[in-house]
Amino acid sequence: MDTLYIISTGAIVAITCGVLGCYLILKKMAMVGDAISHAVLPGIVIAFLLSGSRDSVTMLLGAGILGVLTTFLIEFFHTKGSLQSDASIGVTFTWLFALGVILISMYAGDVDLDQDCVLHGEIAYVPLDLWILPNGSIMGPRTLYISGFVLILVLLFVIIGYKELYITTFDPAFASAIGISTVLWHYLLMGAVSLTTVASFESVGAILVVSLLIAPPATAYLLTENFKKMLWLTAFTGMLVSILGYYLAVWIDGSIAGAMSSVAGLFFLLALIFSPSEGIIAKKLRQQKLQPNNS
Amino acid sequence: MKNILLYTAITIFALSCQPVQKERQGKLKVITTTGMIYDAVLNIGGNLVEAEALMGPGVDPHLYKATQGDLAKLQNADLILYNGLHLEGKMGEIFEKLSRIKNVHAISEDIDRSKLRASQVYENAYDPHIWFDVKLWKEAVVFTTKTLSKSDSINAKIYQANSSAYLKKLDSLHGATISAIDSIPEPQRLLITAHDAFGYFGDAYKIRVEGLQGISTLSEPGLKDITKLVDLIVDNKVKAVFIETSVSKKAINAVVEGCKDRGHDVIIGGSLYSDAMGSFGQFEGTYIGMVSSNVNTIVNALK
Repeated sequence: MDTLYIISTGAIVAITCGVLGCYLILKKMAMVGDAISHAVLPGIVIAFLLSGSRDSVTMLLGAGILGVLTTFLIEFFHTKGSLQSDASIGVTFTWLFALGVILISMYAGDVDLDQDCVLHGEIAYVPLDLWILPNGSIMGPRTLYISGFVLILVLLFVIIGYKELYITTFDPAFASAIGISTVLWHYLLMGAVSLTTVASFESVGAILVVSLLIAPPATAYLLTENFKKMLWLTAFTGMLVSILGYYLAVWIDGSIAGAMSSVAGLFFLLALIFSPSEGIIAKKLRQQKLQPNNS
Repeated sequence: MKNILLYTAITIFALSCQPVQKERQGKLKVITTTGMIYDAVLNIGGNLVEAEALMGPGVDPHLYKATQGDLAKLQNADLILYNGLHLEGKMGEIFEKLSRIKNVHAISEDIDRSKLRASQVYENAYDPHIWFDVKLWKEAVVFTTKTLSKSDSINAKIYQANSSAYLKKLDSLHGATISAIDSIPEPQRLLITAHDAFGYFGDAYKIRVEGLQGISTLSEPGLKDITKLVDLIVDNKVKAVFIETSVSKKAINAVVEGCKDRGHDVIIGGSLYSDAMGSFGQFEGTYIGMVSSNVNTIVNALK
C-alpha cells in the first residue's frame, strides 16, 4: 500500500508540474520553480513572526503569498523594466531569499526556521502523513488529497483556458490583436505555477518539484512539435518517472526524490540522443544524407 | 485528459480508510531518530529490544532526508521515539500527528516546559538540544523507560532495573562533568562553538557559551557576529574555540583568522559532538562517551 501511495503522489505531482512546465519552457521561464523555492523564505519568516507558530498551514500560507508575489515581481521587472526574463527571475529570487536570511538573523536567530525545516516535505513520508478525522478514522495520506486537489485545479485551468493559453504562449502579438489579454493569462498561469510549486514543496520536497517542472516537459519537447502531444507525452513521462524512480530508490535504498529526479534526467538524455526529429543520432544521419557521397 | 481526472478520483477513493495496526511478534522493534535516543533505548532494553537509529553518526538532524528503507522501518516499528521540540523539523510534525494512531512518542514530551530554554522572543519555540544537560537527559531516559515498559509490559521489570542502573551512571557523569568544568579557572570558562547547540550545557555546568550561528544550521553568521566574537576572545584571552562534527567549520575558521589579525593566537581546541554522536561501537558512539569526550576536549583546551 505504501508503494502505491508514494507512486501515485509522485505521478500526480509529476503531471501537475509537467503540464505547467510545458508552458514555462515555451515561455523561456523554466527556472521559475527553482526561483520560487528560494523566494518563499521571507514569507515563511514573516508568517512565523506574525503567528509565532511553525505548523504547516501557517507556513504554507506565508509561502503561498510570497510565491505569487515572486511571479508578479518577475513579470513586473520583465515588462516594465524590459529586462530579459532569466535576468528578471535571477534578480527577484536572490533578492527575496536574501531578505529572508536578513529577517531570520534580525528577528528569529534563536529559532530554527528555514524552508528545509518547516516547509519542504519528503515524499518518503507520504504514507505516514495521514489525514486523521477528529473521531479517529484514517482517511489516507494527507498529501495525496492536497496534490490531487491541485492537479484537478490545474487541469481545469488548462482545459478551460486552453485556447487562450495556447495563443498567448505562442503568438502574443496575435493574441492582443484578437483581444485576448496576454498579461492577464500570463498572471493566471504564473499564479497557478506558484500555488502548485508551493503546495508540492510541502508534499514532496523541493528537488523533486523543480526537476519535474522542467525535465519531463523538456523531454517531451524534443520528441514532438505538436503542443497537445507535448502535454500528453509530459504527463506520460511524469508517470513513468514516478514509477521507475520509486523502484530505483528501492533498489539502491536511497532518497526517493533523488531517484525520481535522476530518472527524469535520464529520460531527457535518452530523448536527446534518440529523438527521431531532434536527437543527436537523427541529426547526424540527416547531415550524412545531405552531404554528397559521390566524389 | 478526462481519463486522468477519472483515474485520480478512483485512486483517491480507493486509498482512503485503511487502519494500520499489527500484532507484534518476537522482540519489541524500536526506531529512534537520533543516536542519543538509540543509546538510551539500548541501555534500558538491552537484548530485549531490536533498536535502530535513522540518523547515523555525523548527521545533522535538521537536514536529514529519509530513504526508501527508512519508511519501511518506521512502518514496521512497534515504537518510534523522536526528540521533539522541532529538532527533526518537518519529520517531527508528522510524528506528532502519527502519535494519534501509532505508538510514537517525543522523549521530551514529559519534561516541564519551564526547564527548557525558550526563545527570548517567541513562546513555544524551545532549544531542542536537551541532551547536553545530563540531568535533563535523565528525564528523557525515565520517559523512555516508561514507554518501553508500556509497550512491552512482560519485560517491564527488567527495563526498570536496567534503567535505574543506567540512571546511576548518568548521575556520576553529571557529577564528573560539574567538577571537570569547575576545574577551569573562572575567566577562561568560555565555550565558543559554531552553532548554538550548547546552551543547556552552559546553563547546567556554569560555562558561558557563545555560538557563532543561530540554532538553525542554515543561518549564516553575520559580519558583526564574527567581530563581536573576535573582540570577546581577544578581551578574555580565550585559548581555544571549538568545531562540531556535524556542522561546517568554515565560519569558525574566520574567527580564528580574525583573532590572528588582532595579535591573539587562538587554536581550534578540537571537535565536539553536538547534533550527532561518534560511530556506533566506539566509546564516543555512546551518550556517556560523547559527553565525556566533549568535556575532555573542552577542559584540555581551555585549562
